[in-house]
Amino acid sequence: MYELDMLLKGFQTLLSQPFALLLSVVGVAVGIVIGALPGLTATMGVAILLPFTFGMDPLSGLLMICGVFFGGIYGGSVTAILLKIPGTPAAAATAMDGFELTKKGQAGIALGTATFSSFLGGTFSVLVLIFLAPVLASFALEFSASESFALAVFGLSIIASIAGKSVIKGLIAGFLGLLIATIGLDPMGGFPRFTGGYTELFSVPFIPVMIGLFAAAEAFKAMEDPAVRNGAAAMLSRIIPPWSTFRRILGTVVRSSGLGTVIGMIPGAGADIAAFVAYNEAKRFSKTPENYGKGELAAVAACESGANGCTGGALLTMLTLGIPGDAVTAVMLGALTLQGLQPGPLLFREHADLVFTLFAGMLVCYVLMLVIGLSSLRVMGRILQMPKSVLTPVILALCIVGTYAINNSMFDIAIMLAAGVVGYFMQKWDFPASPVVLALIMGPMAEANFRRALSLSNGSYDFLYNRPITAILLIIAGFTLLFPLVRGFMRRSKAAKGATRDAALAPNPAGGAE
Amino acid sequence: MSHSSPSDNSPSAHSPSNDGHSGLSRTDRLANLIIAALVIAVAIAAIVATGDFPATSLATDVGPARFPIIYAVALIALCTILIINTLRKPVTEAEPQDTTGGAGRFASRVNVAVGIGLTAVCLIGMTYVGYAAATVVYLSSVMWLMGQRNKLLNPLIAVVVTAVIYITFSTGLQVPLPVGSLFE
Repeated sequence: MYELDMLLKGFQTLLSQPFALLLSVVGVAVGIVIGALPGLTATMGVAILLPFTFGMDPLSGLLMICGVFFGGIYGGSVTAILLKIPGTPAAAATAMDGFELTKKGQAGIALGTATFSSFLGGTFSVLVLIFLAPVLASFALEFSASESFALAVFGLSIIASIAGKSVIKGLIAGFLGLLIATIGLDPMGGFPRFTGGYTELFSVPFIPVMIGLFAAAEAFKAMEDPAVRNGAAAMLSRIIPPWSTFRRILGTVVRSSGLGTVIGMIPGAGADIAAFVAYNEAKRFSKTPENYGKGELAAVAACESGANGCTGGALLTMLTLGIPGDAVTAVMLGALTLQGLQPGPLLFREHADLVFTLFAGMLVCYVLMLVIGLSSLRVMGRILQMPKSVLTPVILALCIVGTYAINNSMFDIAIMLAAGVVGYFMQKWDFPASPVVLALIMGPMAEANFRRALSLSNGSYDFLYNRPITAILLIIAGFTLLFPLVRGFMRRSKAAKGATRDAALAPNPAGGAE
Repeated sequence: MSHSSPSDNSPSAHSPSNDGHSGLSRTDRLANLIIAALVIAVAIAAIVATGDFPATSLATDVGPARFPIIYAVALIALCTILIINTLRKPVTEAEPQDTTGGAGRFASRVNVAVGIGLTAVCLIGMTYVGYAAATVVYLSSVMWLMGQRNKLLNPLIAVVVTAVIYITFSTGLQVPLPVGSLFE
């Protein structure tokens, strides 16, 4: 098999280049740190390190960037699980169940599962990239505006299943997020909407909102009772999940990795979308969906394998077609061009040795991520042993500096603070924050692609049912949105019937509501 | 089964699920109604604001106002459902599990309000005195607010944490942190 031979040759070449391997270690380590810091995303990490690669040989430079990319996507999960600070937008999905596990004293196992799932998801996607790139590249081209719109609607339909205690409150939070997502420049005409004259609002400031809703809100909540220490949460006992647990979540990891890889290939869809979609599908296939949102290990595994599965998918379209799957690969496209390499089908023919050595390096990067990740978790877990009176102000200081770092803007910090206050009250009155973040990610994608698809079809709405992928995604979205509502309705009517029957049987019901 | 966090003393945590047919506490009921009313006000304001949006020049486009209007109308409908659901539920008596008492709850609310205020002051102060000075004072104050009252340790931790953050972002990641208008 040609690919396998070339890959083995790639490993041989890589072993003879210790400098490239050293830079992979540096890249992965820097990526994990950048990913873990709030506000700093994998895209920013790649952009920061890009100038350093100018003087390097193509392999070393590209491997360092790949290391930052992979480490950056994974690193976001560490602070999301430990502190409910999603380091990256993708980690917002991980924070939902990850932080609940930390509150139950299972931070170690959550972090270990996240690390293994990230490794498996990423490795799976790189293997797909190596062996199936030419076949799958044509699939990515099938995705036009209408399919992207349907994917965004599919993503948004998840709102109903991450709504928490009340579906209505979840939907209100989701639609509020969608309304907020319309702030900024109109995607077709460029007209500024609801900006109040502030140029800072020309694009939706979703990272400051995300940091505010998750991290700052949690910090404000911690101020309610500062005397309480983290208690059980401070213990970081077992990190590597037992085989029985791992076997239970393996199916979820494989499914989420596949989903992540496919979503990564779609231009405009990144790790954040993959994480939320993987979460929803894991919940749909789960035998205990009611545990999701309350600290389910499979949910953490799904989000992380989905997000990291995206990496290989995004690289696939970038390397084979020259179309970046997400923002990080768009920056990497620039790095490749600077190195004198033109992405596209010819890259695999003219620079086959380099490409397969790079693929071998990517697999090594994921192994390094696993090793560095697992070995640093205990050190990072010590964060939880800090007294709450020190940890909370540090979290807030990180929120402030991380938000500022996005655009060097004080305005963004003000937005983060406002989102934090709103998030605090939302949490207090059972309005979930996750639907808002999901809507901020998917809303602009849905609107822009719907209007683009409408223009492409000359104002006809035929594209909603004429194109098979669009139609299938919209049907699944409808099912996903309505299923929790129907299930809730049926459960309530069953409970009401039971209560009526009990009341008829027992003349003097004592005990009250359960 | 689920463990609420030790600091979880939100009123809703003590009342039954808002989705069930069991009652709501007075505070929950009032909060639901106020939030729903506020969101409806925001949605109506958004619909009114779309009146100023220009019509699209493309015959095949729905224009910049269509999506915000759809979202706002959906919000109004959902909030109306929430209001109806809330009003239909019976009011239950005060939370029996609340061991903190009225004074404790008031103190915790004051703590949160002061914390939010301090964050806002830090943000304003940063524009004048720069990131480093504002953060040192901010960290010390929030630590004091959260019960750590050591006059030596608080500023020391604050300085060390600020220095680590400053070096990581300013030197390591090349993010120029605010210097402050007084020192520019």
